[in-house]
Amino acid sequence: MEKEHKYGFLIDASRCIDCRSCLVACSVENNVPMKNTRIWIKDTGVTGQFPDLQRYSAPYHCMHCIDPSCVSACTVGALQQNKDGIVTYDADRCIGCRYCMYACPFEIPNFQWDQRLALVVKCDLCVNRLEEGGQPACAATCPTQAIQFGSREQMLALAHERIKNEPERFIDHVYGEHENGGTSTFYISPVPFEQLGLPTAEKTESPAHFNRLVTHGTPAVAASVAIGMTGIYLAIQRQGKDNAAALEDHAAAQRHSE
Amino acid sequence: MPNTTISRRDFLKLGGMFSGAAVLGKFIPPEVAQAARQAGYLNAQGDGYVPSMCEMCVWRCGLIAKVKNGRVVKLDGNPQHPHSKGRLCTRGQSGLMNTYDPDRVLTPLIRVGKRGEGLFRKASWDEALDLTASKMQEIKDKYGPEAMIFSSTHNLSQVQFENLLNGFGSPNYGTQRSLCFNAMITAFLLTYGVEEPARIYDNVEFILMVGRNLMEAISTSETAELSQALDRGAKLVYLDPRFTKTAAKASEWIPIRPGTDSAFLLAMIHVIVMNELADCDFVKQYVIGCDGIQDAMRDYTPEWAEGITGVPAATIDRIAREYAAAKHNALAHPGWRTSNFVNSFQTERAIATLNALSGNVFTLGGCLSADVTAEGTGLGAPSQPPYPRISALRLDGVPWKYPLVPLKLGVFQELRDAILTGEPYQAHGWFISRQNPVQSLPDRAKTLEAFSKMDFIVSVDIILNDTAWFSDVVLPEASYLERYDPLLPVGDKVFIRQPVIEPQGEAKSALWIYKQLGERLGLGDYFQYTDEEDYLRQQLTPLGASLEELKAQGYLPMPEKEEEIVFNTASGKIEVYSETLARAGFSPWPTWEEPPQPKPGQFYLLTGKVAQATQFGTQNNQLLHKYSDEPRLWLNADVASSMNLAEGDWLEVTSQVGKVNIRLHATQAIRPDCVYMTPGYGHLSKGLTTAYGVGASDSVLHETYTDPISGSQALTQTFVSVKKAVDAQPVEERKPLYLGE
Repeated sequence: MEKEHKYGFLIDASRCIDCRSCLVACSVENNVPMKNTRIWIKDTGVTGQFPDLQRYSAPYHCMHCIDPSCVSACTVGALQQNKDGIVTYDADRCIGCRYCMYACPFEIPNFQWDQRLALVVKCDLCVNRLEEGGQPACAATCPTQAIQFGSREQMLALAHERIKNEPERFIDHVYGEHENGGTSTFYISPVPFEQLGLPTAEKTESPAHFNRLVTHGTPAVAASVAIGMTGIYLAIQRQGKDNAAALEDHAAAQRHSE
Repeated sequence: MPNTTISRRDFLKLGGMFSGAAVLGKFIPPEVAQAARQAGYLNAQGDGYVPSMCEMCVWRCGLIAKVKNGRVVKLDGNPQHPHSKGRLCTRGQSGLMNTYDPDRVLTPLIRVGKRGEGLFRKASWDEALDLTASKMQEIKDKYGPEAMIFSSTHNLSQVQFENLLNGFGSPNYGTQRSLCFNAMITAFLLTYGVEEPARIYDNVEFILMVGRNLMEAISTSETAELSQALDRGAKLVYLDPRFTKTAAKASEWIPIRPGTDSAFLLAMIHVIVMNELADCDFVKQYVIGCDGIQDAMRDYTPEWAEGITGVPAATIDRIAREYAAAKHNALAHPGWRTSNFVNSFQTERAIATLNALSGNVFTLGGCLSADVTAEGTGLGAPSQPPYPRISALRLDGVPWKYPLVPLKLGVFQELRDAILTGEPYQAHGWFISRQNPVQSLPDRAKTLEAFSKMDFIVSVDIILNDTAWFSDVVLPEASYLERYDPLLPVGDKVFIRQPVIEPQGEAKSALWIYKQLGERLGLGDYFQYTDEEDYLRQQLTPLGASLEELKAQGYLPMPEKEEEIVFNTASGKIEVYSETLARAGFSPWPTWEEPPQPKPGQFYLLTGKVAQATQFGTQNNQLLHKYSDEPRLWLNADVASSMNLAEGDWLEVTSQVGKVNIRLHATQAIRPDCVYMTPGYGHLSKGLTTAYGVGASDSVLHETYTDPISGSQALTQTFVSVKKAVDAQPVEERKPLYLGE
């Protein structure tokens, strides 16, 4: 799969003030239902014992993986990776099966539990804003620039540069660089990422290719099962017709004999 | 313009371009659409971007509204505006939900049930305005104009509100200021001659903040500048009894005992002056008090302060030396809501003194801009006759009881108390605009009692806030995305708030409402503008600029003002020693005044902002509600467990004046002798279907104490007891009760 992974985020837990401006901006920009969200705050909570306390937080949304598990798990093509590497979601195709939710190691797709015909809700990187030359709503409004947006390459370089320049401020780990086979969202943080509540996705390879064996095999399996079943159905039908004809012949023979 | 949607990028390029295509939009109602298209920012379908100004708090960021099919669909920060710099905070982002709140009041309402019952009938503007004007006139004829109280909170149309009040002839003006920043403003007026000096973070190296929770009480640009300064390695020392989100970003958090900030600051001044660490050249040239300050500060040793504040003397000494070492790149932040204790004025005087000692005046390369701008705004105004002479005393005691409180600040809580005592005379009517005194004044029971003394109460608001709920007439104002307000100069530009959509229902701008009332009260000469646009054009006259140009761009340049170092005090210098204070019988030096303390078993009741609400007016905004924490009572986790209380338990919190039930948040993030409540919850109005039934009201608990110098209400001087509640808070049905037309 040769895609250009054009865009990237750099999220800095040392800058985030948990104001939730990004959360509201996302809800407005994307008209997200009141009971759903495409973006969360992950935080450490207040840690330590009074008065030696700490608290860190960071916004959290779709990582836009290089090899996205959700896309590989989606049997109907509602989740796709576009030419720029953005993982997009098409509600018209979605059947609400929730396979993507099980597949995503970051627990991103958000299900509309309150709806009868429920779909999922997920970040699409504000593609409409990008087309107009803008930035995703979350990054555009962040008052402290805890979310920065640019090219993936730039953001990754910036993440490493900031750690290098301030080794006492950040732990030496760019989250998202290798997690799940690499993503387009990078985190830097003063504390280990599991303390922020980010999933420990240590695998350097996306499980997507395992999924693909199953999900991409599904149509073939489904087709062969369907063909087989159709054959059986037709065979039974034919048998039925033969029997009916035989009975008819038999009845006619009887009438003749009376 | 081409027949396509105008992109954000195009908009930003637009600049002063505007052309005259005049085909009406398909969906957008005609007037705004036509003007907008003429200005060049909406296409033929009525879609595009309109610049205006936020009103979710008083920081007033520039915004760009995205309009589609006649509706606002997104707000972004205007990169050209110095307060937003392209960004909006949580509340700014949610602003369109205030406009589209399903609880909006969209026609005038006249009360038909008992006050507080919520029974209103819809009325026409003519009927509501005629009724209001006749009631106001009746009170004026019977008791004199002073029997009408006018109150309003910080807004751009306030100039015309004041016009109505002054034209009517009442001295009784209630603002929110004494509940907020009287201590800060009075102290800086007396010391520097400016109300609120600007903070400049460009070169700041050391910042001292006394309870200024900038990471939660967000002012978009200043919060950003602080964050960037910290990134650059500036040091932030933050004093607060709570581990706020600002404390989490501070280099050093000092959980000081409430009410003792001034002891900490006086000890810092002691270290600086006794060791001669101040900027001598600056101090000699610009500061009054150079000579006597060592004697005045001699006793305020760090050891003395340790006993009061609980902060080790060595820490105070070190911080004072670090502050002094940063010279004019040190900033002692003046703060904002400084209505904490009756000694908060002294805290602010000490902060002003610390700034004076560092010589950090901006024009000399420092980080505090205390320069007095030239008289006036540089904008024009409609002509009007002089106001009638007022001989009645002000009910709030300014200046006869509070000689140093500026008239425009006032002492709101004292005004409320004068209604109850009837001294020096009885008030009979209350005109309230964009204000919620039922929630904002301390001691809600007292405020409701004051309401019951009124013959007539009228409110101007966009929703049925608690105050409107108890009013006789509610006049529905257009929201900030639906109306014009008077222009606002910021720095070297003048900015506009303009309607980005048509007002919904019957809602009208304050400029229109005040003029209509003025005319009905025979005060038409004070409102010499035909409509909102005419008012703005008259403002623009001295600039020789066109309204169309301003509307298209969102701002226009203003003539530059000369910068010079002038302090608008009696002496023309920074008055660390204040003769004015001495003459009024107060200490001429910043001084220590011991505030009261809670009895054993009681807690200091703290309040303070969260980033998802502004005061008492935004709790019904569904988008903010969506991402807000449930308002709970913070209590130190160790104290909670010693009291056998667990997270989420229902508590009964009691002060001398009231009692509320609220759930517990047990946390390490607060001193063991304090509790904290998020202000602005516990609404009485069932017309607020999102906010009603959520949390509890801090105003129920707050006792009324006033600082005699600044008139500031002492909000943290209320001490409460806490115990497990027997019953949970009852939640009633939420529904406004409108009758037919």
